[in-house]
This record gives sequence, C-alpha cells and structure tokens, in this order.
Amino acid sequence: MTTKAAERRAMHGTGKQYWYRLGAEVKRDKWLYLLLLPGLIYFIVFKYLPMFGVVIAFENYVPFSGVLGSEWVGFKWFNSFFRFPAWLTYLKNTLILSLMNIVFFFPAPIILALLLNEMRNLRYKKTLQTMLYVPHFISIVIVVSITFVMFGPSGIVYKLTQNLLGHAINYMGSPDTFRWMIIGQTIWKETGWGTIIFLAALTNVDTQLYEAAMVDGAGRLRRLWHITLPAIRSTIVLMLILRMGSMLDTGYDHLILMANPLNRSASQTLDVFVYQQGIQQGQFSYASAIGLMKSIVSVTLVLGSNKIAHMLGEPGLY
Amino acid sequence: MKKLVSVFLALLLALGMMSFASADEPLVVTVLLPEFTMDVDFVAENNPVLDAIEAATGVRLQITWAPNENYGDILNTTMTDKELPMLIAATDARSPLIMNSARASAFWDLTDYVNDAANYPNLALGDPQIYNNISVDGRVYGIYRTRNYPRGGAYYRSDIAKEVGFDKEVKTIDDLTELAEKLAGYSDDTYALNMCSYTAGTISFITVAFGAPNNWGVDENGDIYPAHLSPAYLEGLNWLRHLYEIGGIDPNFAQISTNDWNDIERTGKAFMRFDCLDNAYRQQEWFENNVEGVTETIFAQVGPLAKADGSITIWPQNPGFSGEILVTKAVKEEDMEKVMKFLDWCNSDTGISVLNLGVENATYWMGDDGFRIDISKLPEEEYNEKSNAGKQYLHDLNQLNMGVSYHAVEPAMKLSESRQRFADLNVELAPYAVLDPCYPLVSQTNIDYGAQLSPIISDAAVQYIAGIIDEDGLKAAWAAWAEQGGDQMTAEYNEAYHAAQ
Repeated sequence: MTTKAAERRAMHGTGKQYWYRLGAEVKRDKWLYLLLLPGLIYFIVFKYLPMFGVVIAFENYVPFSGVLGSEWVGFKWFNSFFRFPAWLTYLKNTLILSLMNIVFFFPAPIILALLLNEMRNLRYKKTLQTMLYVPHFISIVIVVSITFVMFGPSGIVYKLTQNLLGHAINYMGSPDTFRWMIIGQTIWKETGWGTIIFLAALTNVDTQLYEAAMVDGAGRLRRLWHITLPAIRSTIVLMLILRMGSMLDTGYDHLILMANPLNRSASQTLDVFVYQQGIQQGQFSYASAIGLMKSIVSVTLVLGSNKIAHMLGEPGLY
Repeated sequence: MKKLVSVFLALLLALGMMSFASADEPLVVTVLLPEFTMDVDFVAENNPVLDAIEAATGVRLQITWAPNENYGDILNTTMTDKELPMLIAATDARSPLIMNSARASAFWDLTDYVNDAANYPNLALGDPQIYNNISVDGRVYGIYRTRNYPRGGAYYRSDIAKEVGFDKEVKTIDDLTELAEKLAGYSDDTYALNMCSYTAGTISFITVAFGAPNNWGVDENGDIYPAHLSPAYLEGLNWLRHLYEIGGIDPNFAQISTNDWNDIERTGKAFMRFDCLDNAYRQQEWFENNVEGVTETIFAQVGPLAKADGSITIWPQNPGFSGEILVTKAVKEEDMEKVMKFLDWCNSDTGISVLNLGVENATYWMGDDGFRIDISKLPEEEYNEKSNAGKQYLHDLNQLNMGVSYHAVEPAMKLSESRQRFADLNVELAPYAVLDPCYPLVSQTNIDYGAQLSPIISDAAVQYIAGIIDEDGLKAAWAAWAEQGGDQMTAEYNEAYHAAQ
C-alpha cells in the first residue's frame, strides 16, 4: 500500500500540486473524459445509488413507510434464514448446479471457439457463427417448452430412449435428471454466444507464430496446444474469475419453469428462495438480506480467485 | 405496448382530473384488478358499464388490469409504487406484505364503516366472522369478496359411467370407488380421474371426504394439528394411489400443465374430476356448443359423500371469501365518504347486478320470458358480437364484486339442468363444509418459510400417489417438514388459536 502511495506521489506530486496536475490532465484530455461521462453516469445512477437500498435488509421494510420510515430490525432476517433448518439444502443445490455449470458449460464455448477458429472457409464460418448465436435470443420460456415437447412423456426423445433401452427415463420428472436438463439447456442456449469473447481473443494471435510452427513441422493439434491455447489463456482465466463471482447465481426463472412436484427438490436454490420470499410473499427485506449475503460471498470469491490467479502468474482481473 | 400507453394516458387523465375536480366532476377512482379475459382488450372510453357506475355513484373507475396468472407478483410490486391505486383487490388477505402494509397504515381502517348500518347498510350486512378472518390486529382494512363455500366437489361423465355399467347416484365413498374403478377400465388410453400438476384441490377433496381436516385440524384436546397427521389423510392418498396403480390416472399427471386440464376432459381422455364444482356446468355447456349431438346432461355432479360410518365431510374449496378490496391512502380523507358510499353501492342489488352483468342491451340481453338470455345459444355471428361486447365493456369487472350483502345476481338466466344442480348443491353441501381453523391466525414460521415448507407435504403426496415413494418415504417427508419448521408452525398456531378462544 505504502509503495503504491509513494508511486502515486512520485507520479503526480503531493497536496496542491497533485490537484493542480489532475486538473491540467483533465483539461488536456477533456474530450476523452466527455466520452467517459455517459458510462460514469450510468454506473452512478444504476449501480451505485441503488446500493443504498440494501439497508432494507436490516429493516422490516414496508413500502408504504418507505426506506427511512421502516422499522430497524438489525440482523433479524439473517437469523431467520439460518434458523431455517433446510437452508443448507438450498445452498447445496445452488453449489451443485454452479459446479456442474463450471465443469460442463464453462469449457463448451472455448472448445467451440477453437473449432470455429480452425475453419478454412470464411463464408461458411461466418454463417455458422451467426446461426450459433440464434439460441441466445430465444426466451427461456420457449426453450423450456421445446424441451417439454421433445423430452416430455409424449416427446420424441422420451419415446426413443424408451424403445432403445426398454425402459423410460423420466427426463422432466426426476431430481436426478433435473440438473442435467438445466445444464443441457444452458449449453444449447448460451454456448454459441459465449464464443464471441474467445473468438475476439483468438484474432490477436500472431499468425507468424503459426507459420513458424508449421515450418518446424508442428501439426494442427500441436499448434493448438502450444500457440492458440496459451494465447487465450489469460482470457480464459479472466472469464473463470468472473464466473466465480456468479457462483451462487443460478437464476430463478429457468429453474421455476422446469420444476414440478416430482423434481422440485433439486430446483430449490438460493435464487429461487429469494424469488419466493421477495416477489411471491412480498417480504422484500428478507429477500434483500439473502441477496446481500450472496453478494458478499460473490465478492469474496472474485477477490479470492483473482489473488490465486496473480499467484499463478496471470494478470487476472486487475 | 398499446396497452401500456393507454394505461399511462389513463393515469395522466386520472391525475389531471383529480387536480381540477369540481363539484360536478366525477371522482376518479383508480383500481387494480386481476384480469382473466386476455383475448379482448378492455375499452375504458364510452364504456356503458363505467358510465352506468358513474351515473349511479359519481365515481369514474380507472382500472389497471393485471393478468391473474401472476397477479400476486404484480400486486407485491405495485405495493412498492409511490402512487398506489385507490382500490386494490388483494387476492390473499393474509399475505405478509398486505398485513405489514396495513399495520404501517397504507390502507384506511374500515372498521367503523362496516359497522355503520345507518350510512352503509349493505356493508353492514357482511358476516362478522369473515370480517374477523380478514382483520389485522382486530381492525378491518378491506371488504371481503364473498364466495360460496361448497364450490369444491366431484363431477363425472354420466354417459361414460352408464357405458361401463355404473348407473346410480354416487352417495357414498364406496360408490365413488366403484365408479372410479369402472371408469378406469373403460379403455387403455383413457383415464378415470383427470389430474394435472395442480394437485392441491384433488388431494384436499378426497382426504377431507375421508374425514381429514382442511389444512389444519383441531384434535379432541382442542389443539391444532396438521392435516397430514390425520389417518384419513393417508386413506385419501391411498385411494388415489390405488386408482393410479390400476391405470385410472395418467402416469404423467404431475407434468401436465394446468392449462391442459379442461382439454383432457374435452378430448375424452378422462371422465372424472375433483375441483371447483361449477366447472361441471361449464364443461357441460362446452360440450353442448362444440360436440355434435350432446343435448342431455352428461356431467353429473356428486352430492354429499357418506363415509362408511355414514358421516359426511366436504372440502369447501375456499374459506367463504376470496381476498378483499382494500382502500389505500391514495384516497384523500375528504373523498373517503364518497368512496365508501361507492363500495356500499357495489354491494347493493343494483351494484351487484352491474358489476356482474353490466348494462342491459350493452353487455346482457333479456328474453321474452323475463329471463336473461344465454348468448352461447345464439347463432355464431350474433354470439361473437355479443360476447365481444361483454369482454370489451364488462371485462372482468366482477373481480370488484364483493357481495357481502349476499344479494343474488339479478336478472337471472333461466338455469339449465346443470346450473340448477350446482345451485342446489351449494345449499345442500354447505352444512358439511370443513373449515380451516388457522385461516385467521398468524404464524411467523409460516410467513418466514411457509413457501418452502408447504411443497414438502404436497410434493411427497404426489410422489406417493405416483408410486415413486412408499409409506416410509411419505412419513420421512412429513418428518422433514416437522423438523424444518412444521413443528414450530404447529406450536405457533396453537398459541394463536388458544389466545383467540
């Protein structure tokens, strides 16, 4: 910390001098700062100001009384949640789904991006890319409906497995298959869209490296392993760190749409809990308290994994 | 989008009118109501029904419709708005948000109004017991919306029953079992009982018929206990499980959307249903209008069901009312009298008639015999035109109907055999209705984890019926429920129950 402060002093000077220089710099780069302004305003208005609303997590918030007028209850809602004997089940469901997401969904766009990158015919590649983006724009409601039509008890996949295996697999009505269905749908919907950032990283790879490797006699796989992957490694790490931040986010709409009395036990995650308490029951304070807890865990995870990345010699998030 | 714009314009208009209101101007009252009619938009301008209400009461309604499917969500988010609607239909009078808001005085205290028979004669006709059920800390904040108790019941296809050799009236549970078993054997790709993912009604009906309490019961010591601990509850589940085993229930019922429920009967895939009894005459009318050759009554409605010992208990489907109409503080104090007079009018003979039927020759039509005509019997073009007028002008205004004065809706339609049977059964079944003693009581555990706890019981019941778990599994789920807060909830209800005695 002290070294950083010293660095800053060395760069900008101290006290009055510092502010003077800052002013001069802003004046010099005024057009750049002007460009920055809309983004800055966006973050202040939509991201920073709403954060003050988090105080309702410590209140018995009644909309009519307002944030300032509601009764202060301290950690009541946090206690409430941890007194709920099943809270661990909710956490467990959340973590299982998140881990499956990281293990199975996270690599999917990377693999797809690498495959796309190896394509020779540019026009074919562009067309394919566009088609791969389409599922991202399909509402999750539609995706779930399509799944019901295909995997439901009268669906083609259901009938097919029934005929092939001799017994039916209840895709839509069992807690065991529930998570696989969710992951499967996520992969189908988001893989194509997820390739964008990796494809962008891939364009930065110096083509001379490939040529040199070819001269040295490296095959496609060798080039992939020694040139392409190392080139996008920092992007992968960056995305992984960001993914860590949403470790406890499972979303609720997708899960609620897929849940029914037979598989509900697997669908009960923290986000679903927040939805049930906040929107369905109107207990905004309770829901905010759990949301706040989730956020604290997320920030910890992001900072922690960033630290680990630094230790491993990666630039990380910042 | 168009709807949003029109709502916005309506609000602007409302605000504009409020600020310039003079003695002659009508009082603009904003209302939030659930919407069931999704195919035709509500028309607010030159609306004969709204005009009639304005002429009678001096109140111009500005209605915001919210789809019934997620009305609860919309209501909760509306409560966070700075500008509340003046009248709100709260479909769940016990929701924590509504109760907390009432305590924070977001609504006008109506206790004195509903007891003021001199000025508000119709409101004062309400049932004090139900006013007590919806009260918060002993004060009444809303006018409840009356529902007949015994809407819950069983009905079945009597023509199919005859085909499979069942030709008598269902009077006992044994009769019902015989009927169900025979219907199950009708054919391989049809089922006896129509079930879907909404199972609460079906399970409540059969368990209460066997003698289980409705959600919560009172034992011989006067203590509260949950319904699933009654042996009759398991008997009811066993009845369904047996029917499932013999192929009388679609094996995939838990995954069938509620939206397909009616179609299963209409396509002749299942022949019996435990649900709101009034659905029987709706299905009957659908068959008469859409299926060639149906003129007789083919949907039989089951009356009181006797147990083996001859006693009768009936699941009432509702606690005698469905939510309440709240008056928010958006109504200014000087306008309160006018608004309350309006609500009183809504509960008068004419008010009930206008809210349910609208205006003669605009939304309903009289026949020569002095009865209201049934437009579904008209030629298609005329029917479409008239039904469209009803949807445009009356829409779902009956959601504002409170009917605490129990006046009948006049002018009546000539009742079909099926509707007459329903009306008769309402009277016949009422004395047997089993009510939930915990309805007016508050349990903090229920508020905190009720949404998480109740699916444990209902999901286990579904899994038990479908043969996925056995009795041990069912008991394990009950134990999990008890451990995760169910016992705590029972204790809290007991405390509240004894305090209220």
